[in-house]
Amino acid sequence: METKSTSSFTNLVDQSVCPGDVVLDLSKMINQTIKLGGGLRQDCDAISVMKAGRLRFSKPHKYWVENSQKRYVPYAEDSVLGIVVDSRSDNFLVDIKGPTLAFLPVLAFEGGTRRNIPRFEIGTLIYVRVIKANPGMNPELSCTDASGKAAEFGALKDGYMFECTTGQSRMLLSSPTCPVLDALGKKLSFEIAVGLNGRVWVDAASPHTTIVVANAIMNSETLSGAQQRIMVEKLLQRIQ
Amino acid sequence: METDRPDSQTPNQLRPLACSCSCSILHRSHGSASWAQRETKVLAAVYGPKAGTKKNENPKKASIKVIWKPKTGQIGKVEKEYEMILKRTLESICIRTIYPNTTTLVIVQIVHDDGVLLPCAINAACVALVDARIPLKHLVVAICCSITDSGCIILDPTKDQEEKMKAFINLVFPNTIVSVLPEGSLQEGSETMAHGIMTSITQGAMS
Repeated sequence: METKSTSSFTNLVDQSVCPGDVVLDLSKMINQTIKLGGGLRQDCDAISVMKAGRLRFSKPHKYWVENSQKRYVPYAEDSVLGIVVDSRSDNFLVDIKGPTLAFLPVLAFEGGTRRNIPRFEIGTLIYVRVIKANPGMNPELSCTDASGKAAEFGALKDGYMFECTTGQSRMLLSSPTCPVLDALGKKLSFEIAVGLNGRVWVDAASPHTTIVVANAIMNSETLSGAQQRIMVEKLLQRIQ
Repeated sequence: METDRPDSQTPNQLRPLACSCSCSILHRSHGSASWAQRETKVLAAVYGPKAGTKKNENPKKASIKVIWKPKTGQIGKVEKEYEMILKRTLESICIRTIYPNTTTLVIVQIVHDDGVLLPCAINAACVALVDARIPLKHLVVAICCSITDSGCIILDPTKDQEEKMKAFINLVFPNTIVSVLPEGSLQEGSETMAHGIMTSITQGAMS
């Protein structure tokens, strides 16, 4: 019985699942704590899937469904690229490609006080951190990390911003370094910011380099690691 | 009892399906799907969830708005009815408590109509919702059955065959799920949903 239970637990991990699939049976798990990530929900004793994707498991007992989508859903502690769409007396309204606009308080900057409120034009691209994302409320952002330092957050000047899916953003941010970024970094100098909401910002000395990097990243979504390196090499040969 | 079909298919044979679903169909939508059952073809796009709800909607739940676009002309009474049926079916499969006070827009464009238009649209909309990663309870599968004068049931009729039939029934079922639960306990818990019919619409004389 226990062997069968163990095999049934690992049966669906790393497989593609559809909405409605039951992936866990809580009545068979005694004194165990599991953590449910995105794409899963509890229905009495059964854990079922809400979004199509690939079921993942990481020790100890973390389950989530890994997928890629265009619409971003805000979660706390995500780093995202936002566009300022309005400024009020207390908040900047920032578009982070979520269901609603997000609030960026004017004091949520390093050393922010009432005397030195930063002045953002409408349309400014900023790298921010999501600190609150509750359903039914507008998400709240911050331009500092958890310890209050500006770290890598703030406005991004110049450069070029394009959009991709959230799965590709996670791939670009994964460690070890994504093959396309690794291959590009060997030949070109550029600066890049990747938001988990599917926005990527690239800046380089010349627009030519910026366009090459952006096109390479956009083309790499459906390629494997080796294919990405080959694609980058071909692209670099063509421009030299 | 045998009935000859002009397209040489058996009575319970479905027409060939073609389904494509990816970001490359429609770039601006958050999810899109193209569903074809031989000649009949439907293109579905999903936008959202977006903030806000209509005036007469419940802001505590996510609402779904369906727009049915016929191939030519304006929508008439039949298309209005299809739109309403599609909206009710999609509302029943979506988990609407996760994104309150939002609206998800589903646009269904008819590319070609050769019979079984409503089941084709339901299948396309369901695949588009999956592509947009809208939280769903389960998937749905739609099928059209037609009944001849002699009482024979034919699945997936063409438009020419529809004109000779006595009655039709459009059925929508939940999909078969992969489960780690034993078979018996699943039936105990959700027998009505797992094995039942979600939507049933009949036309003509049905005994």
